Amino acid sequence: MLETKVDKVLDLKGLLCPVPVVKVSQAIKALPIGAVIEATATDPGVLADIPAWARSTGNEVLSIERQNKVITFRVKRVK
Amino acid sequence: MARLDANKATLVKDTLGKLIDRKLLASLEVCVRCGICAESCHYYLADPRPEHAPFYRSEQVRRLYRSLFDPIGRHLPWWVGAQRPTEESLAQLAEMAFSTCTLCRRCTLNCPSGCDTAQIMRAMRTVAVAAGLAPEMLVQLADASIAREEHLEDFKEIYLEQVRALEEEVREATGDPQAHIPVDVEGADILYVALSGAHTILPAAILFHEAGSNWTLSMFEASNYGVFLADTARAKRITERIVREAERLRVREVVVTDCGHAYTTLRWEAPNWFGKPFPFQVRSLIELVAGWISDGIITVDPTHNPEPVTYHDSCNLGRNSGLIEEPRTILRAVCQDFREMTPNREHNYCCGGGGGLVATPEWTDLRLKAGGPKAQQVRATGAQVVAASCDNCRIQLGDISEHYALGTRVVGLMELVVKALVPQRAKGHPLEADVA
Repeated sequence: MLETKVDKVLDLKGLLCPVPVVKVSQAIKALPIGAVIEATATDPGVLADIPAWARSTGNEVLSIERQNKVITFRVKRVK
Repeated sequence: MARLDANKATLVKDTLGKLIDRKLLASLEVCVRCGICAESCHYYLADPRPEHAPFYRSEQVRRLYRSLFDPIGRHLPWWVGAQRPTEESLAQLAEMAFSTCTLCRRCTLNCPSGCDTAQIMRAMRTVAVAAGLAPEMLVQLADASIAREEHLEDFKEIYLEQVRALEEEVREATGDPQAHIPVDVEGADILYVALSGAHTILPAAILFHEAGSNWTLSMFEASNYGVFLADTARAKRITERIVREAERLRVREVVVTDCGHAYTTLRWEAPNWFGKPFPFQVRSLIELVAGWISDGIITVDPTHNPEPVTYHDSCNLGRNSGLIEEPRTILRAVCQDFREMTPNREHNYCCGGGGGLVATPEWTDLRLKAGGPKAQQVRATGAQVVAASCDNCRIQLGDISEHYALGTRVVGLMELVVKALVPQRAKGHPLEADVA
């Protein structure tokens, strides 16, 4: 995992798509540009959904890592 | 009240004008305000205020329609109850169309004149999208689906990695070390379109394997947020991904996972957007599995699901697409104690999560309140498990179980089938192809 300052941590474990995307989108709106969210999820749908959402909204996925069934990702607000 | 600027006024008029066909016109013109629709609507039952009655909602859009297209309404608006749009009234109409109607069409079923309130609300949603008043989250989700195809190379590896990780679970469930999840296989009979995540891929993969189907998994998800926006351009673009994939792989049929709007869209609506029938059949996984059980292609043991189970009919699958008996064929075979809700089948109440409501957090309180009639239905069955055949319903049923302290567990229909499955293929049981 990159050494990046995390501004908000989200626990999305147990939530099914699209709820993880909705929660990330909501949370990032409340943060300033440049802020970083770190989230953990168990729905593997986020592996494709979060990068696709980030690309279409102009935000940046800094990292996505999977350990066993838990996926941890970091998203930076770009605009 | 801020008047609309000339450009926006023209945009609203043009957008609504293009949607007016004979069916919409009939729904706009024939309502006699009898009020029968009120008690059909879960919003009204949960909170019986006039503004929650379908005829009231439709009337607000009629007032806009009359102000733009009725000759008397344009010149003497007070005469026919027309209301010229303002910035405020347009924003109110947009919010009404997205937040207080799940497009479930229970009111349409009960309307003596056949007014399709859902079509009127969808028309209003289309106008709202054109005017820039659509819920931000639905737009983001629709655009993310489009981005997934436009940048497929970026997502392909990560998706395949997810699929490979699930294969071990398929092998474990079927007892077959050769079991796998085929992806991108040209000449397969079936293209299976799941949702994002494992919960609609894994059960289907186990069942396709057990039935011996010649299938391949789609690279794309079945959900289509363009449909919830009533934005045909986006909805068609999202559907095109699947149509192109099916044509490229030359499959005979596209099988949609147990998801209400995704099935209804691909089966009934999408061919109209393309102006031609698709060169493949479209079926729901529910239809296939019901057939496999009836024909003895897969073997199930109901004692594996001993708890009382009830079933929530997805409005899109049941009332709007006619998939009513197939889920019941499945449930009677895989559960020991299946209990119907009352009312059920096409008369079932919407759970309150349809129409994109589970993805619009700004209206969560309203959504949970509108789930009240469904909560009462579930509680009356005494069931411990609620089977859902649609992901939006599943999320909402889970939320209302918690909100109303129902103490119920919400499970996907196919997960119950897999739990009851007695794997036979590894023992040389006849395959689907052999029986056919």
